[in-house]
Amino acid sequence: MSTIIGGQVLRDMVNDWIGDGKRVGGPGYVGNHLILYRWLHRSDELLLESYPRPHNSIKEFLFPSHEKLYHYKIDGQHIELSEAVLPDAQQIIFAARPCDAASLPILDHVFNWDYRDVFYNRRRSLTTVVTLACQDHDAHCFCTSVGGGPDDERGSDAMLFALGQDQYEVRCFTDKGKALFEGKLEESTRVGKVGPGPERRLDLETVREFLKTDFESPLWERQTLRCIGCGACAYNCPTCHCFDITDEKVGSAGVRMRSWDSCQMAMFTVHASGHNPRSRQPQRQRQRIYHKFEIYPSKFGEILCTGCGNCSRVCPVGLGITPVLTAIQEEQAARAGTGAAQEAGREKVDQ
Amino acid sequence: MVMNIYKPDLMKVLQVRQQTGDVKSVRIAFEDPARAAEFSFRVGQFGIFSAFGYGESTFNICSSSNWKDYIEFCFRKTGAVTEALWQIEEGDTIGFRGPYGNSYPMEEWEGRDLIFLGGGIAMPPIRCAIWYALENRDKYGHITVVYGARTTRDLVFQDELDEWAQHERTTIIRCVDPGGETPDWKGEIGFVPNVLKKAAIQARNAVALVIGPPIMIKNTLPVLSDMGLAERDIYTSLENRMKCGVGKCGRCNCGPVYVCKEGPVFSLEQMKHLPNDF
Amino acid sequence: MTKQLHKVCRELLESGKVQVIIGYGQKDRGQPPHPVFITSPEEVEGLVWNDQCVANLTTYLTRKEIRALGKPAIIVKGCDARAIVVLQRESQIDRSAMVVIGMACNGVGEPRLAKCAACDAHVPAHVDITIGEAVSEPVDPERRYNDLNVFMTQSTDERMDYWQDELERCVRCYACRQVCPLCYCERCVADKNRPVRFSTAPTLKGNYAWHITRAFHLAGRCIGCDECTRACPAGINLRLLNLSVARAAENAFGYRAGLDPEAEPVIGSFSTQDKESFIK
Repeated sequence: MSTIIGGQVLRDMVNDWIGDGKRVGGPGYVGNHLILYRWLHRSDELLLESYPRPHNSIKEFLFPSHEKLYHYKIDGQHIELSEAVLPDAQQIIFAARPCDAASLPILDHVFNWDYRDVFYNRRRSLTTVVTLACQDHDAHCFCTSVGGGPDDERGSDAMLFALGQDQYEVRCFTDKGKALFEGKLEESTRVGKVGPGPERRLDLETVREFLKTDFESPLWERQTLRCIGCGACAYNCPTCHCFDITDEKVGSAGVRMRSWDSCQMAMFTVHASGHNPRSRQPQRQRQRIYHKFEIYPSKFGEILCTGCGNCSRVCPVGLGITPVLTAIQEEQAARAGTGAAQEAGREKVDQ
Repeated sequence: MVMNIYKPDLMKVLQVRQQTGDVKSVRIAFEDPARAAEFSFRVGQFGIFSAFGYGESTFNICSSSNWKDYIEFCFRKTGAVTEALWQIEEGDTIGFRGPYGNSYPMEEWEGRDLIFLGGGIAMPPIRCAIWYALENRDKYGHITVVYGARTTRDLVFQDELDEWAQHERTTIIRCVDPGGETPDWKGEIGFVPNVLKKAAIQARNAVALVIGPPIMIKNTLPVLSDMGLAERDIYTSLENRMKCGVGKCGRCNCGPVYVCKEGPVFSLEQMKHLPNDF
Repeated sequence: MTKQLHKVCRELLESGKVQVIIGYGQKDRGQPPHPVFITSPEEVEGLVWNDQCVANLTTYLTRKEIRALGKPAIIVKGCDARAIVVLQRESQIDRSAMVVIGMACNGVGEPRLAKCAACDAHVPAHVDITIGEAVSEPVDPERRYNDLNVFMTQSTDERMDYWQDELERCVRCYACRQVCPLCYCERCVADKNRPVRFSTAPTLKGNYAWHITRAFHLAGRCIGCDECTRACPAGINLRLLNLSVARAAENAFGYRAGLDPEAEPVIGSFSTQDKESFIK
C-alpha cells in the first residue's frame, strides 16, 4: 500500500501555505535556462517536472547569504544593543533534492557543537523539508559515491515520488511530514520508482588514505592550478558554511551582519600582520577538500559533501570535488600499480 | 531564552595606555554588574573585541585571571578595527565576547622553572601568564623572561618589566635588535635566541612559553632543545585569523584543529602533528 | 586545426621558446574543455580545440601561480586576444615575453554565446601565430549592442525592477571578478576595509554598489568577452551593464578596448576634443 497525491492538490497546498503566511521555498526558473531554489510567491513558480537539480542549494533557507546578528545604537560614549528579530514563520522547503535535504543533519553538527547557533537552529525548527526523489541525474551528480542516492531519506520530512500523469506517491518520515500531508493523501497500490542515480565512481576509502599521507603532494598543485579563486563552488554547495562577520553602520545606528565567505578567496586567512597561511590557490583548494573529507569527518563523523555536484556544475573552469577526487584516485591507483609492478619485478629477480 | 552567541557584552573603557608608536593597551570592565560577577577566565584565553561601526578583532586577554575588576587587552594599529580602537578614550564603550579557547596549563607547570620568551607585540599574551605566576610565586621555580623587540621604542609594558624584576627568583632580560638600541640602553643587544643562549639559564625541570614572529620561534626552538627542554615542555600560542571564535566560521583551522576551540595554546609536540598550514 | 596546434606547441616547448602552454584540455568528453597548463612536449596531445572552448584564458596571464611556471604561450580566440592588447597597454604583461597563438573561430558555446552573434574578430588580431582559417567581416556597430537596445525599449521602472530582481540573487561569490582578465587589481576595492567602500554583505544595496563599481572600473577597458556573465552562478546578465558602458565609450570617444595596441586608453587620456556632454 502507498499514499498518493495529485500535482494540482500539491500546488493548491503550496498556495494555501503561502496564503497562511508560511514561507515556501522551492525550485523555479530564473530566465529561460537556469533553475534555482527561491522563495515562491505562487505555486506556478514551482518546478515539479523532472530535471537534474537546481544550481544553488537549500542552505540559504536556513543559513541565508547574509543575516543580521544584532543591532546597535551609538549615543556618545554609550552603546545600546538590541537583538535581531528571529524569524517566526513556519517554512516549507518543497521539491528539494535529496542531496540538499541530506545537508541539514550534516550542518546540524557544526551549528551545535558546544556553542549553539540560535539563528540556524531557529530556522531549522521552523522548517519542514519535502523532497522530490530524483528521476534524472547529470554528469556532475555523484551522490551514490558519498553514501547518498536518488531517494536518500536523510534530512527529509517527507518525500515525493513522481508516478507520471501529475501523480505523486508521498512517503512521510517524520511527524512534521505527516502533519503537512494530514488528510490530503489517498490510499493506493502504486509505488513510486526512482532513477538509477549516477554510477558510483569514487571510493572514499582510497581518497581518505591519500589525505592521511599527502598533504604536501604535488597533486594539489597539478590538479588545482586552474582554480580562479571565486566562491561559486562554496556558495552553491549545500554543506559549505564558512562565514564572515562585518559591520554596517549608517549614522549612529548599525547592525552586525554575517555573510557567506569562502576558503577559496585569497583574503580568507590573511593575518593582521599580513602573513597568509594559504597564500597560493592550490593551498586553498586543498583546504576545501580536506575540510570536506578529512576534517569534518574527524570532528563529526560525517563527510561534508552530499554529492550534489553543484561545485563542478557552476565552476567556470571545470573544477569541483569530482575532478580533484578522481585525480586522487588515479594517483592512488598508479601507486598501487607501481607497487604491484615493483613487487612483480622483485619476484622476477628472486627467480 | 536562547543565547545569541555573537552578541557581545558591553564594556566600559577604564584606561587606555599608549605602549609604543602603534601599540595601545586598554583596560575594560563589564557594564552589567551581574556579568562582571559571574565572569572568569584562565590566562592564555582570548576574546573578540568590537569597535561598533567597524567590526571585531581577536586579542588575547593580557591581564591576569586573578584581577577581578577588569580585563585588559593590547593591540597594534594595523587594520580597520584596530584603527577605530586606537581612537577610544576612557568612558567609551566597546564590545567583548569570550573568553574563548584553551589556556596555559598553569597548574601543570606548578613546581617547575618557567621560561618566557617574547618578541615585539607578542609580550601581552605572555604578560598574563607572568603576572599569574608572580601572584602565585610559591608554586613556581625560577622565572626567566627574555623579551626582545626591534628597537627600544617597540618594547611594551616596560614599566612592568621593572616591577617583575623586583620579585625573588626572577630574571628579566630585555633585548633589542642590533641597531635598535639607544646610547643609554642597559639591556642586551641581539636577537632573542642568541640572548637566550648567552644567558646560559640552568634549565632543570623547566617549561618554556615562546610567542613571537615565526622566525623568532623557529630560531629559538633549537636553543631550548639544547638546553634540554622536551617538545612537550615548549608551548606557543597561535594567532590564526578568526571571525566567530566559537568553531563555526571555518577560518582558523590548521588541519583538523580549530585554533579557536582547541587552541590557541599548543605544545611543540602537538604542533608537530599539525600539517604545514599556518 | 588541433593537429597543427599540437605541432606548434610541441615545437615551442621543445625549442625552449616557452616553458608553459596555457590552453584547453578535455579529460571527459561529456564536459566542456577546461584550462590546462602544459609544461612538457609529451603532454601537448592533451590540448584540444573545438567550439566548446569558451573560457578566456588570458585571465591566467596575471596570476602569480601561473607566472611562476615560466614564459608562456597562450591560446586565444579573437575576442580573448583583445584582453592581451589591454593588458599590454596597461603594463600588466610583457608582450614580448610570451607567444600568443590565435585560433580562427566561428563561434563557441552550446548554445552559441550571445557575443558570437556580432563577432568581427573571427581571426584573432595582434597574435604571433594564427591557426585555422575564418573570415572576419565588419559588423554593424549597433548589432553589437542588440541585446542592450532590446533591453532599453523597456521603461525606467521596468528596467529598475529587472535589476533589482537580478542583483538580489547575487551572493558575492566574485566569480565575475575572478574570471575577468582585466580585474587584476592586487587588492580589489571590494576587499578594502580602510575604509570599507561598500557593504561586503550581499545586501541589495551592496550588490548594486559592487556591480556598478565594477562596470565603471571596466569602462573603456572591458573587451566584451562576457566571461563574467558565463561564470555567474546566479545567471545575472552582467553583459548588459558592460555593453552599456562600452557603447558610451564608443559613441563618445570612438573607442573600443583592445583593438589597437597603439591607441591611448580612453580613460587614461585627455583631449580638448573630448565631448563634455556627460557633465550636465
